[in-house]
Amino acid sequence: MKYAKVYFDDVNVGDELPPLVKGPIQQIQLTRYAGASGDFNPIHQDEEFARAAGMGGVFAHGMLSMGFVGQAVSDWSGAGTVRKLGVRFAALVRLKDVVTCRGRVVGKSSKDDVNLVDLEVWAENQRGEKVVTGRATVALPSR
Amino acid sequence: MPTEINKSLIGKEYPPYAVTVERGKIKEFARALGDANPLHVDDRVGAASEWGDVIAPPTFAITFRDETADSAAFLRELGTDISRLLHGEQEFEIFRPLQPGQTYLCRAKIVDIYEKTGRSGPMAFVVRETTIADRSNEIVATMRGVTVVRL
Repeated sequence: MKYAKVYFDDVNVGDELPPLVKGPIQQIQLTRYAGASGDFNPIHQDEEFARAAGMGGVFAHGMLSMGFVGQAVSDWSGAGTVRKLGVRFAALVRLKDVVTCRGRVVGKSSKDDVNLVDLEVWAENQRGEKVVTGRATVALPSR
Repeated sequence: MPTEINKSLIGKEYPPYAVTVERGKIKEFARALGDANPLHVDDRVGAASEWGDVIAPPTFAITFRDETADSAAFLRELGTDISRLLHGEQEFEIFRPLQPGQTYLCRAKIVDIYEKTGRSGPMAFVVRETTIADRSNEIVATMRGVTVVRL
């Protein structure tokens, strides 16, 4: 069930997050994300500008893919549980790409009544190429 | 001729700036991601939650980055323009979710600038850290971004 509550006690190293599939990426989503985020770099909107810049055409904001990864994590762990999220943008996401976000539990720790779960997270395109790689930490309740 | 990046900006701290989070902006951001979690978009669910109101998605603080509206001046100072930029890395640490109606004080600093030659040629990496504090000056989140400038 989506948005089910996850308890620290029930999480094990090696557990995988349910994959979150986004796309195919359309121009309208990049325009919408520009408005929502305030990042109006024309390289994400204007095909001619992006080609002239030597980028071979429009590509998605890295932060859009990172936002997808954040959602993949919080869909699983619950909104408001994400303590850390850090990524490297490994490859460009182009129009029509399908982005699948994934994650895996790599560590658990408890200190001062705070229960933390460390995750390896990434997003890949339809060819299985990683476009985002990173780590996340969530704080979970215990039973 | 390759661009010269202004490395004298290393260590530069920008004047603190305040951002008040609008309710609609959180929802707009969540919807732009396609994230329909009711804790982001439904006021009633937010009000009934432990947070007492809706909360922002984990990457929402990025909307504070260009809030000063002088990003063009920053690029000029750096010695480049927007067509040369790529986003290299991004990190957030969140101590408390950002919420509507709250005013946050942001302090940004250039912590490093270095050059490297990658597959697509010479590049400069500009590392910027921002702390986000609430009205009582308690830090609620930090972000660290690496902007790549294609030289």
